[in-house]
Amino acid sequence: MNEILGIILAAIISWFNFVLIDTWMGLPESPGVKGAEIIGRSIQKRGGNLAGGFFQGNIVCSPDASAGTLLASIACFTIGTPEGGLIAAVLVYFGNRLCADPGYAGTTGALSITAIIYLTSFIGFKPEFFIVGMVLAILTIQGLYQTGASRLLGKLAQKMGRYTKIS
Amino acid sequence: MIIHANVFSYFIALAAALILSLVLRLPLLPDKPMRNSWTISAVFPTAVLSVGFYAMAYELGYHGYLVALITGIITALFAKFILEKVVPRPEGEESHE
Repeated sequence: MNEILGIILAAIISWFNFVLIDTWMGLPESPGVKGAEIIGRSIQKRGGNLAGGFFQGNIVCSPDASAGTLLASIACFTIGTPEGGLIAAVLVYFGNRLCADPGYAGTTGALSITAIIYLTSFIGFKPEFFIVGMVLAILTIQGLYQTGASRLLGKLAQKMGRYTKIS
Repeated sequence: MIIHANVFSYFIALAAALILSLVLRLPLLPDKPMRNSWTISAVFPTAVLSVGFYAMAYELGYHGYLVALITGIITALFAKFILEKVVPRPEGEESHE
C-alpha cells in the first residue's frame, strides 16, 4: 500500500478508535484528577466546551485510549503482532492505575488497535502507519485548534450520553 | 504478517486465570457503572493481565502450554493478593467519582 495513503487512513481509524472508546468510557463526564479539571476550565474560558475540555484534560493527565492506541502501535512495530499489543495493554493498565484512573479506556484502546492492526495487515497496512497516524490524530485534538476540537468532543459526548453534569 | 504465537497458549493462560480468580472469589465483572469501578475482577484486569504476561514470557523465550498455565495461575494469585498493594486505588476515590 502507498505509504501516504496508508498513514492518512490509519490516522482516521486511530482517531475514531480512541475518541469513541474514550467517550464511551466517560472521559468527558468528569475530570479524573485536578490537572484535568484545570485544563477543562481553561478551555471553557477560551470559548470551548467543558465536557470536551475534560476529555482533553483527561487524556493529558493519564494514559487513556489515546496513549493505549499509540503505545500498542509502537509495541506491535517493535515486538510484533499481537504480542506487542498485549504487552502494551498490561503496561498501559499499570500506568493508568498509577495516574488515579481505573484503566478501562487505555486497556480497551490498546487491545482494540492491536486487533485492528492485525486485521488491516491483510490489506497492506503496517504498524508504523498507525504510529504516525495516531500522532496526527492526537494533533487534531490537542494541537491544531483546541477550543474547536473541544466543541466537537462535547457534541459527541452529548450524542453518546456521556456529557458532564458538572457546570 | 505472520502470527507466530500459539493461539491455544493464550487461551490456556486466559482460562487458567479466569477459573482460578473465580475460585479465589474475585467477582466475574467489576461493579456497575463499570467505567468508574475500581473493583478487581476476573475479566478485568485479571484476564487482560494473563494474556499480557504470557506475551512477555513468550517474548523472553518461554513457550508452551505449561508456561501458559503457570502464567495464568500466577496472574490470578497476583490479581487477588498483590495488585491492590502495588497500585492501590487513590484515597477518597469512591466519593470523588
